[in-house]
Amino acid sequence: MQSDAGATNMSQVQSLLKRPALYDNIDGVGELAIGFMCLGYVLYGWLNMHAAENSVWQNTYAFLAYVAVMLSIIHFGGKAIKNRITYRRTGFVAYRRDKYWVPMAIAVTVSVLVAAGMYLTVRRHWDVSTPVLLIGLGFAALYIGFARTVRWKWAMFAVMVAGPFVIAALPADIVETFANHTDLTSALTAKVVGAFWLTFLVYGAVLMVSGGISFWLYIRHTQAPAQEGQ
Amino acid sequence: MNQQIRTIAELDRVIHEPGRLMIAALLFAVDRADFLYLQHETGMNKGTLSSHISRLEEARYVEVVKTYRGKVPQTLLRLTGAGRKAFEQYRRNVKEAL
Repeated sequence: MQSDAGATNMSQVQSLLKRPALYDNIDGVGELAIGFMCLGYVLYGWLNMHAAENSVWQNTYAFLAYVAVMLSIIHFGGKAIKNRITYRRTGFVAYRRDKYWVPMAIAVTVSVLVAAGMYLTVRRHWDVSTPVLLIGLGFAALYIGFARTVRWKWAMFAVMVAGPFVIAALPADIVETFANHTDLTSALTAKVVGAFWLTFLVYGAVLMVSGGISFWLYIRHTQAPAQEGQ
Repeated sequence: MNQQIRTIAELDRVIHEPGRLMIAALLFAVDRADFLYLQHETGMNKGTLSSHISRLEEARYVEVVKTYRGKVPQTLLRLTGAGRKAFEQYRRNVKEAL
């Protein structure tokens, strides 16, 4: 971007105002973090469904400890990448604290709604095999924020949109195999649990691939300046 | 002189310069950023960017803090309250004038 008279155009100023937010995921770390979290839950689900009865993987405290370790890896790992690679190559940005309120409020609202939905589902024995697939489409909708920045990410978005339909088209016995034919409740049947697990697997895997490509491209196209100061 | 022309005449010349407008817009959207980030985003060379930052600092629109990240010197920049107000006023004036 060169300093020229065209930069005075207000639409260009608007696009400049959005650049710092896009910069947050310039290295693909945002996608890697969410992908890692999804695959972490997939791994725990697998261990939970396939471990022997009363094993440590079916203990609530073990789950909480697992989540704490997973979130610590994401937090400190992401920070380490930013400090050691991104800030050295393309610079440091500290975001305004007031900007965090909106995503945090959305995250809390969604969490509360999902928890309430799960509670009602289990209590009222609703059949949720179709809504589970909508979660996959919800994940794809969230990815639009990443896809808008780079054209090739629309291919990843297409995979995410196709994922729930492929899962829906799979024969029930195959989906149930992923849940080890385990019914958690009358509402969360093996088919629903398997569909949940597959949805998180697809979304996590696509995000890891997308974040990995972004990170590789970032490393390839940037280099740290000579260290005589900035 | 009609109102529209008067608005154009009243545009803040410190911010109106395209290079400084880019810097102000980028800093407006964040709490603070370093010199390297601005260089990467604006595509300006060190000399040009330094001179624009000095001009913004003279006008007290930008606060510059020299520090270290590990052993590497780092120049952190932040838009001051006056800088934020000036940038918002500039955007309003341009919208009125167009």
